[in-house]
Amino acid sequence: MSDVPAIETNRLSKFYGRVEAVHGLTLSVGRNRLTGFLGRNGAGKSTTIKMLLGMVRPTSGEGTVLGKRIDDPSESVELRRDVAYLSEDKRLYGYMTVEQTIRFTSSFYRDWRKEKADSLLRKFELPPGRKVKLLSKGMRTKLALLLALSRQPSLLILDERSEGLDPIGVEQLLECLVAQSSEGTSVFFSSHQIEEVERIADQVCIVDQGRLLLDLSMDEIRESYRQIDLVFPFEPRQLEFDLPGVVNVRTEGYQMRVFSSGNTDEIIERARTHQATSVEVAPLGLRDVFLGTVRDGSNALV
Amino acid sequence: MLWYKAWMETRARFLFSLCGMVALPSYYVYHEAQGVEKFARLDWYYHSLHTGHGLIAAMWVAAVIFLMMGGLLREKAVGASSFTLALPVTRTSLMRVRILCGVCQAMALAVVPWMAMFLVSRATGMATSIYQAVFHVVLLAGGGLVFLALALLVSSVVEGEYTAPAVSFGILFVDAIVLDTRSFGAFSPWGFIVGSEYFDRKTQLLLGSIPWVHLTVSILLAALLSGIAIKAVQRQEF
Repeated sequence: MSDVPAIETNRLSKFYGRVEAVHGLTLSVGRNRLTGFLGRNGAGKSTTIKMLLGMVRPTSGEGTVLGKRIDDPSESVELRRDVAYLSEDKRLYGYMTVEQTIRFTSSFYRDWRKEKADSLLRKFELPPGRKVKLLSKGMRTKLALLLALSRQPSLLILDERSEGLDPIGVEQLLECLVAQSSEGTSVFFSSHQIEEVERIADQVCIVDQGRLLLDLSMDEIRESYRQIDLVFPFEPRQLEFDLPGVVNVRTEGYQMRVFSSGNTDEIIERARTHQATSVEVAPLGLRDVFLGTVRDGSNALV
Repeated sequence: MLWYKAWMETRARFLFSLCGMVALPSYYVYHEAQGVEKFARLDWYYHSLHTGHGLIAAMWVAAVIFLMMGGLLREKAVGASSFTLALPVTRTSLMRVRILCGVCQAMALAVVPWMAMFLVSRATGMATSIYQAVFHVVLLAGGGLVFLALALLVSSVVEGEYTAPAVSFGILFVDAIVLDTRSFGAFSPWGFIVGSEYFDRKTQLLLGSIPWVHLTVSILLAALLSGIAIKAVQRQEF
């Protein structure tokens, strides 16, 4: 069972009317990994997550979560027993108190850990008797996190996980995610906070306009992605750099910036052939990789 | 625990309605009892109870519409639907529990205020008839399920935090205008639950036996509307 990917989709698509929210998404998320799911607003992240959890039906394609089919209603209920999910808006029932919400949620899961819930309740300084509707946005997010983290699920899915949290809350959350992952839970999280993703993720998937543009481990990204700044004695032609590994090229006067996902040596060799007077190679952070990939998605490599 | 959720969600509305529905008709009957000696007529006693029933019925219909204004679409409007839908339960289970909880509360709202009114009536020395009380309660609880199912259906297809009860009250208003006329009186759910068809003005009593056929039709119609509501929720995507 542990060989089965945590999440696997095959040409998964979703249309809302004529708008294609997710386009042929083929994705495999391994077990026991922290996988970041990045994309702009409207890129299809939330729709993908909702399809995985059976809230939205795929228009075409198929997918499994922990080996259970997402489009089968009974399997979808079963998979939700093993998945903890933290939604984008993190709203809970305003008419329940913190304590009632915890009691209510715990009743649905066999893997609920009361000691962990009590510990998180103290750590997050949540008032047990207060109505949820009276909690601040940050406290509400912490309560939602408590509900997701007080279990030992096989998979933890978080959609924009740190919204409303102060810096200390974000640190606590990241610690919890890493701890949860080390205990054998696969974590799949979407986020706009690229620095946080870069800090903790093992794997990164980038989507844009419903399409998967990149699916690599952080190690591969660190090893492969480079920004190459070139200076020529004349105005260079972009076409000369249409090489494997080149994600995009920008020119300004005699200067050229090449964003590559590999094949750096050949790109440098090509630059020297074209009389480049200066060649500077720098590794790229995830932010640059994300911006470079999303800005020129059509050239990106998967 | 879905029962717990359904109860917690509607508890305040239910208890508020119950208090109002126990207090107002009971007070009305008690107030009427103070002046009854002047008339000392049997039909006056029954007139008071029947008018009290009208009060209970009006408040009951308003109460069930408010009780049924929850559900997934309202949760979507306030942002809590993702939490509910991530629980390992089907939408059908959520709806079933919501309907059953609503029906139980609606029954309590029909029976308890009538019992209170009946006891006040008896305590103040007015005439009482258990059969008349049961007749009234059965009409209200059985026939009124149509209103409950209608409110359920509207709240399952109309989005917005308070839009569903507004639409339900609109439909109720149209029902009162269109169906409560002489031509359509027999088809009016409101006319049925207040017992217009069976009410005798001379004796101020509901005459005849309990209309089981009409009641069955009402319950089946309510079941049909509930079934449509469940289907609508199953088909929704959010």
